[in-house]
Amino acid sequence: MTSIDVQELTKEYGTTRAVDRLTFSVRPGRVTGFLGPNGAGKSTTMRLVLGLDRPTSGTATLGGRPYATLDEPLREVGALLDAQAAHGSRTARDHLLVLAAAGRIPVRRVDEVLEQAGIAAVARRRVRTFSLGMRQRLGIAAALLGDPAVVMLDEPSNGLDPEGIIWIRELMRGLAREGRTVLVSSHLMNETATFADHLVVLGRGRLLADTPMRDFIEAHSERRVRIRTTDPARLRALLAARGHEAVAAGDGRWRVGGARAEDIGALAAAHGVPLLELADEQASLEQAYLALTADDTEFAATADNARQEA
Amino acid sequence: MSTTAVLRSEWIKVRSVRASAGSLLAVFFTTVAINVLASAAVGQAEADNEGADLLFGAFYAFNFGQIAAIAFGATAVSSEYLGGALRVSLAAVPDRNLLYAAKMTVVGGLAVTAGLLTSFVTFLSGQAFMGRYALGLGDPGVLRACVGGGLYLALMALFAAGLTVVLRSAAATLSLLIPFLLIVSFVVGDVAGSVADFLPDRAGQQVLRQHPAGTLGAWTGLAVTAAWAAALLLAGWWALRRRDA
Repeated sequence: MTSIDVQELTKEYGTTRAVDRLTFSVRPGRVTGFLGPNGAGKSTTMRLVLGLDRPTSGTATLGGRPYATLDEPLREVGALLDAQAAHGSRTARDHLLVLAAAGRIPVRRVDEVLEQAGIAAVARRRVRTFSLGMRQRLGIAAALLGDPAVVMLDEPSNGLDPEGIIWIRELMRGLAREGRTVLVSSHLMNETATFADHLVVLGRGRLLADTPMRDFIEAHSERRVRIRTTDPARLRALLAARGHEAVAAGDGRWRVGGARAEDIGALAAAHGVPLLELADEQASLEQAYLALTADDTEFAATADNARQEA
Repeated sequence: MSTTAVLRSEWIKVRSVRASAGSLLAVFFTTVAINVLASAAVGQAEADNEGADLLFGAFYAFNFGQIAAIAFGATAVSSEYLGGALRVSLAAVPDRNLLYAAKMTVVGGLAVTAGLLTSFVTFLSGQAFMGRYALGLGDPGVLRACVGGGLYLALMALFAAGLTVVLRSAAATLSLLIPFLLIVSFVVGDVAGSVADFLPDRAGQQVLRQHPAGTLGAWTGLAVTAAWAAALLLAGWWALRRRDA
């Protein structure tokens, strides 16, 4: 089984540090979501893993070996970096034939992946006539061509229609089930939550989180209730008796973690505590993610805006 | 990595892009067609002029053919520099030396084949219209000019290919080389015996003359063009090895 191992990886362009002492591993058998705002260094990291850019320092290896030393790279790693990479005047099939020839992959496999990506019907059309979604499918077909143990996709759902997004989600989950190593970048948390088992989050080239998806959800999507009452002392005592702690949230409001509005409403009614306000609050995954990356967003309109959204 | 596999892949690349395949065909068809027209229309009248180099006149259309050769060299390479295509190529063939060598071998091989074919067919078809001025393959310098002319076209294609890797754009290469060939070299080229003799096109075209003029001989002139092509191929190799893709 092949894993992707990134060790103390750093890449500087002039004075800009695109990737900053990054260390993480991508394990087989699960989909790893690679998250971060635009400019966080996701694509750069992927290029470094493929040996396309030279790191300033640190290493990136696949199963312990640098990409450039792999004997049959296309059979070991499949990557989609940029849907625009296929030459417009080539047909989709020719684009794949070029790669198949270099990797000594049988032509039969070209037709298989065209079929799998749902573009067999347009295989002999020039790529110039393709929509972004079709180019994306061609790029995914190219990544699957060598039946590789490691699959890296940079924003694969870009330009796909809703049906295509479901398709790519199922595809990625299927690849992971087959025991492959799957790394998928995105800048959307909610989308990533639908397919990823594990999360690696970047901000300004630094590692912000490397955690199982489930842990991230549990840690960041805690339920809580906001209340306002004329009798905070009694309500707090009632809540404390049931193991809930009410925390002052300013403006006479209180927040109760891990509780639901219906429980607290019933409790207050049963004991005759007047409630002026009662509402469920749930920090969404997207909010949790924005909070995590707010300080590291390179292109936020203003820092204040980013925090308000968070 | 298998060398033959990479060569095959590079051949499919050239074959499957209209601009490269088209300009390779244009090397042959443009040169032959223009030469036939020129020979038929003004060939004998030109040959009648005092001091005309009959052999050089037979390759008149090379002025146009070399532009197609340059376009072939440029477009065969520039497809790698559109939309990150080079990244896909390098992911398939991470050995940059191998990728570069294979690409230039395919470009050079195709250009030599098309060049030699063009050279011989241009000469033979043009001479059919030359009447009493007609030269044969057995005449002095003719075989040398035909073989050298084919090599000349291939060297110009490789010159452009190397430059395109450095500039990463066919448009940049063509807008640099075509004005250079059409204007600079044309204007200063008539002043024989100067530095202009060492320009890549002027030097190489000595091989097409019955009586090479200026400081360089027929083969030494072609060798100067070869040196230009080699320099640009080295520069391209260095650029590809050194740059982030």
